[in-house]
Amino acid sequence: MTALEISGLSKDYVDAYTGEEITAIGDVSFTVDRGEFVSILGPSGCGKTTVLNIIAGFVKQTGGTVKVGGRVVDGPGPDRGVVFQSHALFPWKTVLGNAAFGLRMKRVPPKQREATAREYLELVGLAGFEHKYPHELSGGMQQRLGVARVLANEPDVMLMDEPFASIDAQTRRKLQEDLTRVFELRRPTVFFVTHDIDEAVFLSDRVIVLSTRPSIVREIVTVDLPRPRTWRETTQLPEFRHLSNRITELLTGGAEDVHPAIDPD
Amino acid sequence: MAVTTRASARPKRTVAMPRRILVNPVVRTLGPFVPVVLLWWLLAELDVFPGAFFVGPDTVVGEFAELMRKGVLPGYLSDSLTRLMYGVGFGLLIGLPLGFAIAMSFWARRLTWPLLLFFQAIADIAWLPIVIVWFGFSLTAVTFVIVYTIVFPLVLGIVAGVEQVPRELIRAARSLGAGRLRVFLEVIVPGALPSLASGIRTGLGYGWRALVAAEIIVGTSGVGFMMFDARRVGDVAEVFLGMIVLGVLWYATDALVLAPFERATVERWGLVRQAEAGK
Amino acid sequence: MSAFWFLLPFVLLVVVWAVVVAVTNTPMRVFPQVTDVLAALREMWVSGDLFRHLGASLRRVGVGTAIAVVTALPFGVALGVSPTLAAFFAPLLRFSVALAGIAWIPIATLWLGYSDSAVIFIVWNAMFFALTYNAMLGVQQIPIELLRAARSMGTGRIRMFFEVLVPGALPSIVTGLRIGLGYGWRGLVAAEIIASSAGLGYALFLAQTEFSTDVVITAMVIIGVLWLTMDRLLLAPLERRTVERWGMKAVSS
Repeated sequence: MTALEISGLSKDYVDAYTGEEITAIGDVSFTVDRGEFVSILGPSGCGKTTVLNIIAGFVKQTGGTVKVGGRVVDGPGPDRGVVFQSHALFPWKTVLGNAAFGLRMKRVPPKQREATAREYLELVGLAGFEHKYPHELSGGMQQRLGVARVLANEPDVMLMDEPFASIDAQTRRKLQEDLTRVFELRRPTVFFVTHDIDEAVFLSDRVIVLSTRPSIVREIVTVDLPRPRTWRETTQLPEFRHLSNRITELLTGGAEDVHPAIDPD
Repeated sequence: MAVTTRASARPKRTVAMPRRILVNPVVRTLGPFVPVVLLWWLLAELDVFPGAFFVGPDTVVGEFAELMRKGVLPGYLSDSLTRLMYGVGFGLLIGLPLGFAIAMSFWARRLTWPLLLFFQAIADIAWLPIVIVWFGFSLTAVTFVIVYTIVFPLVLGIVAGVEQVPRELIRAARSLGAGRLRVFLEVIVPGALPSLASGIRTGLGYGWRALVAAEIIVGTSGVGFMMFDARRVGDVAEVFLGMIVLGVLWYATDALVLAPFERATVERWGLVRQAEAGK
Repeated sequence: MSAFWFLLPFVLLVVVWAVVVAVTNTPMRVFPQVTDVLAALREMWVSGDLFRHLGASLRRVGVGTAIAVVTALPFGVALGVSPTLAAFFAPLLRFSVALAGIAWIPIATLWLGYSDSAVIFIVWNAMFFALTYNAMLGVQQIPIELLRAARSMGTGRIRMFFEVLVPGALPSIVTGLRIGLGYGWRGLVAAEIIASSAGLGYALFLAQTEFSTDVVITAMVIIGVLWLTMDRLLLAPLERRTVERWGMKAVSS
């Protein structure tokens, strides 16, 4: 069953400095099934975050449609929870207050929302930190909270915008494993933006590879690695290396045929 | 002066010996005043300056007792505080809604921002003459000036505060199902609080000065009036006393009300640290 | 374009002012018409009063600021360098900031008479503490590695002051200058009202006693424009320049 359906998405914008019109996204279509983990990869500046921002409803597309659960979306909504690279936690709310925020917006009674929030905090490994404030947590723990806050709200799709990019390499590995574990346990639908090829392969069921600007879907790579996955075991698989190399080729190969000299219009 | 909390947050390298005494916050705050008062006393006792211009702390304390006994000081003090309270009350009543209204609307901001800067630039005290023309030498005139001094820093503080709320936080709230009102109440207001607090603090600092100036110029009662009246008859002790009273009052307001509020928002929520991490 | 959006609100304000005064038929005793203010301005220009008052005010601010910078910077930097001095003076400074400026008018006029020096004293006094305090904060925030680096290259005391401490603390110092000038400017107006025979504050108050609201409003507008120009064209760019050009962060905006 399709959770997220993107068809014919395009985005033009006017560069604030030069004033020229730029086509960031040419024509992007794909779908994400319910309970599927899909990553989007592309050369830097290809507009993958813009795709996420359009799906989230933060940015208006120039053309095309975004459907979540069959409904066309317009503007942000609780059916699409977003995990931000900057965490975007509310500094004035405790860990519990952050996790229960979405449920409060839905007017879930206090007892019930606290129970749900605690359940998800435990799921991401934050039990015992309920009454701390976000700034008292490490970067990795802050992002765990970011994930718990979205999952507790039980959205149709969880959108993740390079969530581990600002976290140190060791912690990142651990967070990726924990995210996989949570995913394998709960099977939420996840749409994941990243520029880390190994990360995309390790986490995903499918990887969408975009071309350079104006971006189109270059290829959608199916990742058929067995679950549960751990870094130790998964990276040993020849299939993992093979997929990773294949995507690297797709990305570097794409960089050659687009030059600043070639203007889209 | 939104920056006071910073200094105390910095670990102090104090002399090793009487550590426990030096660490005590009361000693650390009041201690430095002891040698200053002693020096002041010494200068007065040695007659470094003529007595008509400079008196010692003993004389000032005597004056204090005298004025307290006569009930002059309590009366003037309560006059000054009442005016300040009226001014602050109305200032907040006008400034808070106005600030958020301007901060939330692009067009309101565009059309009022230059005017705000301009009216902020006309020093509050410069309004006193025209206000006297309108309202006479009255409480209304003084209140008007204090309201004026508070409203502008407050509005500017709110607008700056709202602008500083990270866009991602608003987006996060929206995608967690918060409507416009909820975003306003749960994200924008708390996010703007520290800046709002420092706006109130700046405003009160100006308001306090404006009060003294207005009392000197309008001159019917109050601590400012007391000081200038004393100056007219050459009573130095009373002028000194007035200054000390003003200083102590402000220090108390700042230390007991404003600073804790700023600390609560800034330190507890880690807003400063977050800002620093972003550089 | 941005100049247009900056000026438009003022044009609207003047139009509203003119219309309201005309429609309600407000007497000049209460509020002047736009043309009255322009006439007053012209008269002040022709008679030379404008320049006399403006000159007096600017001279006082200039002298007061100069003295404040010369006295407050070394003191503030010294406090920033020495934690002991800072621990001792910080409470005193906070006490003095509260008093700075206007509260000193009675004592200043007692010591120095109703004179130019009394007004300059007030301007200096209003600025001194804020400037000292922010210079101290600025120095305290210079990364310790920077100081060590300078010291290990054999930098002497005086060079250290001019080449490391002051530039390092500059963003904070400029912020202090802005805050201080804000107090100083208000102190100036108050002191001129109370204690002098020239200057914008004096002109303002003299006009009030004669109920010439046209002159009062003119003086207010001049005070506003003057400060706005100073703040926007001089201090704000200076603050931005030091902060942005060197990639440093201001203490507070």
